[in-house]
Amino acid sequence: MNLALASSPASVESARTQPAIQVSNLSIVFDTKRGQIIAVDRVSFDVAPGEFVCIAGPSGCGKSTVLNTIAGLEVPFEGEILVEGAPVYSPRPDVGMVFQQPHLFPWKSVRSNIAHGPRMLGKSTTEAYAIADDLIAMVGLKRFADAYPNTLSGGMQQRVAIARALANQPRVLLMDEPFGALDAQTRAVMQDNLLALRDRIKATIVFVTHDIDEAIVLADRVLIMSAGPGRILREVAVKLPRPRSSSVMVEPAYLSLKKDCLDVIRAEGLRAFNQSDAD
Amino acid sequence: MEIATRAAMQEATSAGRDIAIRTGGRARRPNSVRLRRLNILVGALSLPLFIGLWELVSRSGTVNMVLFPPPTVVAAAVLEWIRSGQFFSDLLASLFRVTTGFIIGGALGILLGVLTGQFPLISSLLSPLFHILRPIPPIAFVPIVILWFGLSEAGKLFLVVWGVFFTVWLSTHIGVQKVDRGLIRAALMLGTPRRQMLQEIVLLGALPYIVVGLRTAVSISFYTLVAAELAGAFAGIVYRIEIAQQNLQTGQVMGGLAALGLISFIADRLFAALAERIVWWR
Ligand SMILES: Nc1ncnc2c1ncn2[C@@H]1O[C@H](COP(=O)(O)OP(=O)(O)OP(=O)(O)O)[C@@H](O)[C@H]1O
Ligand SMILES: [Mg+2]
Repeated sequence: MNLALASSPASVESARTQPAIQVSNLSIVFDTKRGQIIAVDRVSFDVAPGEFVCIAGPSGCGKSTVLNTIAGLEVPFEGEILVEGAPVYSPRPDVGMVFQQPHLFPWKSVRSNIAHGPRMLGKSTTEAYAIADDLIAMVGLKRFADAYPNTLSGGMQQRVAIARALANQPRVLLMDEPFGALDAQTRAVMQDNLLALRDRIKATIVFVTHDIDEAIVLADRVLIMSAGPGRILREVAVKLPRPRSSSVMVEPAYLSLKKDCLDVIRAEGLRAFNQSDAD
Repeated sequence: MEIATRAAMQEATSAGRDIAIRTGGRARRPNSVRLRRLNILVGALSLPLFIGLWELVSRSGTVNMVLFPPPTVVAAAVLEWIRSGQFFSDLLASLFRVTTGFIIGGALGILLGVLTGQFPLISSLLSPLFHILRPIPPIAFVPIVILWFGLSEAGKLFLVVWGVFFTVWLSTHIGVQKVDRGLIRAALMLGTPRRQMLQEIVLLGALPYIVVGLRTAVSISFYTLVAAELAGAFAGIVYRIEIAQQNLQTGQVMGGLAALGLISFIADRLFAALAERIVWWR
């Protein structure tokens, strides 16, 4: 069973002409008991096909909200979102999502969890299981194919969640702090796994994190967001060579990038602090 | 009385388990080994001790033996009950009412719980009504059931169904509402059509709640059985207790109570064992 996870030739053709994701003037306002909260304020960015973009920012700055909106999960928004050239209204199977919590179906084994997507898209159980078994091997969980999620560690559960999202061969993969709940060691391993995986699947990836190190290690480009309301402060291109691993974190080029990012974040923190002082 | 017996039996068994677990943790100390042996010994002696004391008190002359017969008399009454063949027809009649009522009430409860849990419009229509009817003890419906159904089986089933339905409905309703939104979002992202969400995610997500509701309903079905048979019947364990009471056969009354306690205890344990298989992923 050959998993044609890379984009088909036709899409490569159109890819040259259009970004995989176009977000223009995205604003999201929530109505709450204490009035309206502007969660996201006129955010615009493009993601090229096959690009790996990280959105980094403090807690509550609207990272999840932006990602959910691209996924078609958050309904009311202003502005325009195009995925592969088409406006987004509802979830679509060529856009995969990995959430901060694994959200595995507890009543399904690892294999059935991963096979769920293909089955929903009309594949036979045999086909779906074949796809699942390939992905199980890819994320290194062969021994646990028949295990139930509650018997797996957090890192293993998140690997299953990634495999499950990949089973529908998404053109776009959205990841919302998928390693946020893991310990530092496991997180480094997962980052390396993801980098290796990414070289094989060639999907466009938008990865949300509050960890600036994680963002630089993984991304081609980092979007730094600020809180209250959420805006994009700066785009930082990460020109570190690939294939990459988390050991890149000790190289001078990495450190100077990180300094750039931290400067932006510190300036913004100072500005926010002075502003709240003035209130 | 039936309730007290059940509670006592459950408490006794769970207390025994607690002790076993606690001593198990400290098993390395010889002191605790001795303590555990003592506990087992005391546990084994508990019932014989209690029954012996009862026999002594009954026969001591300080109490009226007709109203407080010794265990030997109770045992004789139970044996006679079984030998006469009435025990099995009583047992069958009661079990039929409980199981049929449980199945109908449980099925209706699950069906309507899923509907009200899943569809806000149906919930707005039915939930206020159900919330008003639910707290009324089923026993309070005996008079009107007699008016409606006379002494027929339908009236008895009605009472059991009534009692079972509301418990199962409420737990199913809550279970459906509490299904993890994250699972639904994950399913949506994987291409699960909304109309398939019920069978793929919601029912299974609610299953643990439904099972808890059904387990509670097992005991409720026995409570309502008591009301149903006291309201007038021609066979049944509680009916036999009532007849014996009228004939001042206190031994038979106590034998009936013991039988009822034992049956509902067994039913509860069977369902608990079944429940572990229903929620297979735990
Ligand atoms: N459904 C909602 N209703 C009201 N306010 C919301 C809702 N969802 C998010 N918000 C608000 O929008 C803002 C952004 O939330 P969001 O979850 O996107 O932040 P985040 O950057 O993902 O944070 P974290 O790093 O903690 O996950 C927050 O102020 C939050 O309170
Ligand atoms: Mg978030």
